Amino acid sequence: MNDIGEFALLLALATAIYGLVSYVMAVKGNRVDLYFSADKTPVIVFGCVFVSSAVLLRAFMINDFSLQYVWAYSNIELETFYKISSFWGGQKGSLLFWTLLLTAYTTIAYYQNKKKRLEVFPYAMCVCLSITIFFLLLLNFSTNPFERLPLPPEDGRGLNPLLQNYWMVIHPPTLYLGYVGFTIPFAFAMAALITKNLDDSWIRLTRKWTLVSWFFLCMGNLFGAQWAYVELGWGGYWAWDPVENAAFMPLLVATAYLHSVMIQERKDMMKVWNMSLILLTFVMTIFGTFITRSGLIQSVHTFDEATLGYYFLGFLFFVILCSAVMIIKRLSLLKSKNELDSFLSRESSFLFNNLLLLGIAFATFWGTIFPIISEAVRGVKITVGPPFYNQVNVPIGLALLALIGIGPLIAWRKASWGNLKKNFKLPVIAGLIGGAILFPIVPLNSKAELFTYATFILCIFVMVCILSEFYKGAMARMQLNKEPFVKALGILIWKNKRRYGGYLVHIGVVCIFAGIAGSQAYSVHTEKLLKIGETLEIRDYTLRHKDLKAIQQTDIKTRIIALLEVEKDGKVIYVSKPEKEIYKGQNQPVSEVALHSTWKEDLYVILADYREDMSITIKVYVNPMVSWLWKGGLIIAIGTLIAMWPDRLERRRRLERMKKQELAFSPAQE
Amino acid sequence: MVHFFQLLFVVVILGLVGIPLFSPKTIKNLFVSRDPALEEYKHLLVRKEEVLLSIKELEFDFKTGKLSDSDYASMKEKLQMEAVSILEKIDILENNKKTGKKASSEKIGAV
Repeated sequence: MNDIGEFALLLALATAIYGLVSYVMAVKGNRVDLYFSADKTPVIVFGCVFVSSAVLLRAFMINDFSLQYVWAYSNIELETFYKISSFWGGQKGSLLFWTLLLTAYTTIAYYQNKKKRLEVFPYAMCVCLSITIFFLLLLNFSTNPFERLPLPPEDGRGLNPLLQNYWMVIHPPTLYLGYVGFTIPFAFAMAALITKNLDDSWIRLTRKWTLVSWFFLCMGNLFGAQWAYVELGWGGYWAWDPVENAAFMPLLVATAYLHSVMIQERKDMMKVWNMSLILLTFVMTIFGTFITRSGLIQSVHTFDEATLGYYFLGFLFFVILCSAVMIIKRLSLLKSKNELDSFLSRESSFLFNNLLLLGIAFATFWGTIFPIISEAVRGVKITVGPPFYNQVNVPIGLALLALIGIGPLIAWRKASWGNLKKNFKLPVIAGLIGGAILFPIVPLNSKAELFTYATFILCIFVMVCILSEFYKGAMARMQLNKEPFVKALGILIWKNKRRYGGYLVHIGVVCIFAGIAGSQAYSVHTEKLLKIGETLEIRDYTLRHKDLKAIQQTDIKTRIIALLEVEKDGKVIYVSKPEKEIYKGQNQPVSEVALHSTWKEDLYVILADYREDMSITIKVYVNPMVSWLWKGGLIIAIGTLIAMWPDRLERRRRLERMKKQELAFSPAQE
Repeated sequence: MVHFFQLLFVVVILGLVGIPLFSPKTIKNLFVSRDPALEEYKHLLVRKEEVLLSIKELEFDFKTGKLSDSDYASMKEKLQMEAVSILEKIDILENNKKTGKKASSEKIGAV
């Protein structure tokens, strides 16, 4: 069966190459026969990669340790749930998984557009197939997941215990869905450049793709933070690790694109900028995978056998070169005839937002590559840690937060100072009152605490700005249509899904800002050796060591569980059970954090060490407002869903447009 | 058995990509030659929608107090002028099409 999986990969490569060549020959020579032949290849390539993936998954399920990859990332005792995640747990499988998603996305894009007979379509398919060929070349000739072991062992080495966590099952696929998703907008953007179809039709074709990919990338980042928080056991969720940065950067650039593209749609301007942003987003996704697979950067998130650096570096330079050349060649066609109506307008606020987002992305990029550059130039590896990122990104982030509030209150095209003053009065007063209430409550002894205080004031300001938008909109509808407030609000959101879905996303972002500020500045922790019956105190909590148990969970896994009664205000509120898990064949035991989470704060308990006399060393963190991050993520998900929901009005407008075209010019091309 | 499946795989793929090469063709050209007038028409229809939406948005912004009376009046006038200009261009293209006149002789990248 493994032979079939391996053979399917080879066939996928051959078909993809055939597809690319025949598409190019067909459109260059107007060869209808060749075109329809090439048109079958995206689906065939997906079919082959699907068969290959199914064979690899089967090998995991039946414990086929004749495959080196299955042996390295699984064992007999591993739960089925984690056997599935082993598929993408290592470099080889993750590349196959990436290729599976890429070919699946290409197939969906193919079915969405094949009947439209657009000129850009075969070129977009060519770009997708070219990228697929790169991954298939790696899978076939450099990092083959079907590599055999000469003497198959009886059991496998097992999956890294740190990866045996439910967040790790959903985090990589979510992130990959985001990373890979940006290939489609990139492909259509490149196709638009090649065919000189540089109006905004490529933007309309890929709008949903961009939003869906952005959503998955955003959720992937948050799921990764969740995993780091509950599994790595250092009390935090984000460490400005190079791999975390690599997933964060495309999100920033894509966010900038999602905002600036609205200006192109409305005013038919900023074509070069938008084109550059979408190409840069794709470049950043490839840079992200270069970081994880290059072996140049040490991180808990990189793959063990990271050996593909030069291939990805070469591919990265090729993509950058092609994108830059195409944009330069089409510069005259991309130039806009329109200009901003006023400096004081929503459009300007979007431009500032773009600059700030790119500023954070650039600072993060610089911090990520600086160790590589310093090692290459001076032979010394300098680690760039959180202080650098915090120093640069926190002030920019605060300016960005302020803009989230300012933007919606400024009119499109042109605003006046008088109206701005009127509109900002309530949010500014609310922010100041909030600041005055918080002043005696929050400590203000350090720069970090001052920044946090400023963040809270800004969060209140922004929330009032956004909520007043909902209120004013509903009131306007109420007066106009004599509807009750709730109905007016519901219809307002439903009829303007993109706008109000976006505002909901902004509310989620505000929650995340508040969560980060609170948890970074006011977190406290302590560590203590406790004998049975002894207590540890932290903030309002008292933890009493009650018991230490050892449970043989499976043949290879032993759990050491400490039982600690947690008291607050003299009452036992719950029993905390931090664990150490010991896996046969693994040198280091893995900590399982005991977490008690409320909207106000998290009590985070780690069993750092234990002794035969039942004494334990525990580390306890009280992290305020961490749950705000996850709730913010949920609000972002709801907001994105609303913004993405199919708009009947938009569909009707599109159909009317097509009908008009058909009437005036037959046959229609759209 | 494995070789049989591999062979089957190859035959299926060759069949799928090969059949279109030998089937009778119902169309002669891959893409309809790009008519610059149609391209312009499509662009104008989209622009018309965007300008009308912008007018709607402007009215909403005015109702929610984001615009002064004078800004609202001047912006609305500007957008209405833009809309009128677009509608005029659309009319011209439609009339040209009806009367068979060519809007432009330039051919853009016909495939």
